[in-house]
Amino acid sequence: MSISQSNRTRTSIRALQVIMIGMMLVVLGRVFYLQIIEYDVYAALGQENSVRQEYVDAARGLIYDRDGRLIVDNEPIYSITITPSLFDNDKLPLLADILNVSDSLLTARVQEAQRYSWYRTSRLITEIDFDRFSAIQENLWQLPGIGHQIESKRHYPTDINGSHLFGYLREASEAEYQNSDRLKLGDKVGKSGLEMIYEDTLRGDDGVKYLRVNALGQAISNFEDTTLSQPPVQGTDIYTTIDTELQVLAEELMEGKKGALVAMDPKTGGILAMVSAPDYDLQKLAGRLDTDYWQAINADTLTPLYNRAISGRQPPGSTFKPIMGLIGLHLGFIDSTTTVYNSGAYMRGRPYRDTAPIGDYNLEKAIANSSNTFFFSLMDQIATNGYLNEWSSLVKDLGVGVSNPIDLPYASNGIVPDSTYLNRVFGENRWGVGDIMSMGIGQGLLSLSPLQVAQMTSVIANGGYRVKPHIVKASRMPSGRVVEKNPELHQVGWITDENLGVIKAGMRKVVSEGPSRYYTNNPEVPTAGKTGTAQNPHGRDHGWFTSFAPYDDPQIVVSVLIENGGYGSISAAPVAAVLIEKYIEGEISRNYVYNYVLNFVSRPTDSELIDNE
Amino acid sequence: MNNVREFSWSVFFTWMILAVIGLIAIYSATQGPVSQFLAEYIQDNFFKQVVWVIVSLFALISIQFISPRAFIQLSYLAYGVGIILMILTLMFGTEINGAKSWLRIGPANLQPSELMKIATILAAANYLTSRRDISAENVRYALTAVVIILIPASLVFMQNDLGTALIFLSLIPVMLFWSGLPYGVSLFIISPAVIAYLAVIEWYYGLVAAILLTALIFFIQRRVWLTVTSFVTGFLTVSGVQVAMNQLLQPHQIARIAAFTNPNYDPTGAGWNVIQAKTAIGSGGLTGKGFLEGTQTQLKFLPEQWTDFIFCVIGEEFGFIGSTIVIMTFIFLFIRLLNMAGNHKHPFAQLVTVSFTSVYFIHFFINVGSASALLPVIGLPLPFISYGGSAFLTNTIMLAICLNMDFHKREFSIYR
Repeated sequence: MSISQSNRTRTSIRALQVIMIGMMLVVLGRVFYLQIIEYDVYAALGQENSVRQEYVDAARGLIYDRDGRLIVDNEPIYSITITPSLFDNDKLPLLADILNVSDSLLTARVQEAQRYSWYRTSRLITEIDFDRFSAIQENLWQLPGIGHQIESKRHYPTDINGSHLFGYLREASEAEYQNSDRLKLGDKVGKSGLEMIYEDTLRGDDGVKYLRVNALGQAISNFEDTTLSQPPVQGTDIYTTIDTELQVLAEELMEGKKGALVAMDPKTGGILAMVSAPDYDLQKLAGRLDTDYWQAINADTLTPLYNRAISGRQPPGSTFKPIMGLIGLHLGFIDSTTTVYNSGAYMRGRPYRDTAPIGDYNLEKAIANSSNTFFFSLMDQIATNGYLNEWSSLVKDLGVGVSNPIDLPYASNGIVPDSTYLNRVFGENRWGVGDIMSMGIGQGLLSLSPLQVAQMTSVIANGGYRVKPHIVKASRMPSGRVVEKNPELHQVGWITDENLGVIKAGMRKVVSEGPSRYYTNNPEVPTAGKTGTAQNPHGRDHGWFTSFAPYDDPQIVVSVLIENGGYGSISAAPVAAVLIEKYIEGEISRNYVYNYVLNFVSRPTDSELIDNE
Repeated sequence: MNNVREFSWSVFFTWMILAVIGLIAIYSATQGPVSQFLAEYIQDNFFKQVVWVIVSLFALISIQFISPRAFIQLSYLAYGVGIILMILTLMFGTEINGAKSWLRIGPANLQPSELMKIATILAAANYLTSRRDISAENVRYALTAVVIILIPASLVFMQNDLGTALIFLSLIPVMLFWSGLPYGVSLFIISPAVIAYLAVIEWYYGLVAAILLTALIFFIQRRVWLTVTSFVTGFLTVSGVQVAMNQLLQPHQIARIAAFTNPNYDPTGAGWNVIQAKTAIGSGGLTGKGFLEGTQTQLKFLPEQWTDFIFCVIGEEFGFIGSTIVIMTFIFLFIRLLNMAGNHKHPFAQLVTVSFTSVYFIHFFINVGSASALLPVIGLPLPFISYGGSAFLTNTIMLAICLNMDFHKREFSIYR
């Protein structure tokens, strides 16, 4: 071996050693950089990686009826989620097999999820039954990218449909969850009914849970540091004044009709039953949104989403006459002995028709037989003497025509016109005594919701005390503390017992002697009431009936509106009679009334004359 | 028989240390809490590795009793048998992770391409050192040696094992350089790899590297034709990478390459492995999270953590201290082996020892470089540490041959 060869060897060895050590020091430097200099970055990343923050949905508050019976609760629903980037498409047949759905359907769902986001988790299939859910859980290990979650939906354990009472939940809009620190994407919030009004009460506070997860997203265990977790705070339960059996019956009676019904405890204002017909199937809106159904009820010309009981506004017709009587007595234009002769029409520039039998009428008889002449005459005096605004304010003292909100959304205030209002509608002084007189028999611009008709009736039933209508009487905090709401009770000062006696006597006779007596006159339950007909320029008139019972110690006020039902005595009154019998007696013995109501059909149009009943 | 004191005990104990570190890491990666997410055959990897370590220990000891001349005499035969085994593997082999590299022999899965590394180095070394006058000027000899290496390299490539094919290719500059190829030419041979690597990151990095390397080659060799060829090759490499990135490669292949320069580009896609590996190492900090306590490891965020990403397991659970111990142990091993090569009088022993050391080094650099995101992910095991019976046995036999030739170096002197 030559010298140069040996030299070259030594140099080469040194060169190789230098290169290798140099490159290894680069590696060491890299490791130093990652582990010492960038430690904070990767330590945090490692934490985030293996610890997943998960929201624990708080159980929504429950809803009970007046007897403490559960009427709205929560039901678990099982969902399968997918993270498309982790999903192995070869597993699709296996997944389809476990879920018992077709490959093509599942493929479509997976593609939908991929379009939403490749990396974010989305729901693949919701509301699967528990067996399939368990099967998925068992097979998660061979289904990368597939996850599961338990959510809840509203469940209605009784026969109450209650679509307008309870209301439905929908996913919060973007504006809603961005303006709230309690809501997050995908949360459902109440969009109508009690669910909407009591949203903040019913919604609890979501908890936060930290889970250790592996690379497949499978939860391994709870994170050790439990101080970080927050348990969910369940929503507050609410106790309503709803009488379940009465509500179920009311819904049954109103089925197939168009209109509304309000049953109220006159002493407290607690709503016992409330129906707006037609309604919709609340259960169908509870879980996964049935788009077809949702579109159908939105497009329905009968507007099932609209709560006629509180949002609807109709002229109260003759049901307003008892209030007119009270006001007339108070203002002194009439007394209990004042008589007015009905010649078949009241003359004031033109004849105002009155179909009550011809003869003399005092106040009691005028209410009992619903004579228009008596009240035209009274309203004429009120208008002529400049008492229109006084009249309006007296009516509003009963809590109608003004804001007296019930705990449901979109309640109408009703309209009880005064001169300002008439000026606005007709133009300055472009209205006359005729416009005012028609309001004396509950027609014209005067319009009230069924709830308000019940409200004014309750003042009569309750001896001149005004209540505030409400559905929720108490709430129970998660801590167990029960907060009772005090019913508001206000005496309407100008109503005297003496005056009330005349009015109530007249209303008693409506039930026992008037045209509805065949249905309403129940000897077991002495009832007082007033029929009415709301003029309907678009078709057949709407029938009204408002009533209270028992006569001596009223326990219930029932007001019924049957749209296009014609006379209130044949459409609305029988409905009220059945409800009153059920509520006071506990059962329905007069089946002929019950069956009559079930078979009653409103006709949308009918060329009937406006009549006074 | 030689005095056992002349045996290089330090290298032997280094081997033992690395084997034990490997077993600890493999235990954590397959038998720790992570085992609940692993298939049973993977959990068994630890026990299989224990068996392989014991088998290898016997092989290492047995080899010490062989005369070093046997390696020269048997080199062509081993090469021939190896080629036949490789062809058999291509025909009847088992495919694991996409590479058809395994041949089932009895209870064990053998990876002939691993053992072929030894045979190829021995055969090429024998060929290159049996003639006195080999130099770069004698292109015919150099090319023959290249062919000896290229045959198994292309067979490995056909088995779809890119990483190992790369190891074979890297033998060409190493072995030719050691056999008298001028420094400048050797540099020229490896320059395209460096240029391509930099051109993937940014094309002008590649261009700058091409110019600098050309200048270096000119200063070393002072040959105009070599300098011009070098510059043209460098320029073509940069252009080739550009064309490949923009025209030839499929989007997912580009994503994989792009992910290495910027892993955040596609965090759960191609960059996933890179980010998880970096996170594992980085979150280990100075002292690590503790044995079986690494969240990245035990929650299976790391892919192939018992082979290609085993360094992440060590980095995460034993921190910078653990990583440094591993790197320093390797540095010690490489220095010792190269010193051994320097002490050899016989060129065969020199060339074989240097080649084996280079094979270790390239494995080490690519494995740790991949795990720490210095390099794109190229699946190569970490010598003596990663799970893999054939690789461990091969690496041990290579070390045993180095030890043997060092132990018996006087027998070489006599022979020569």
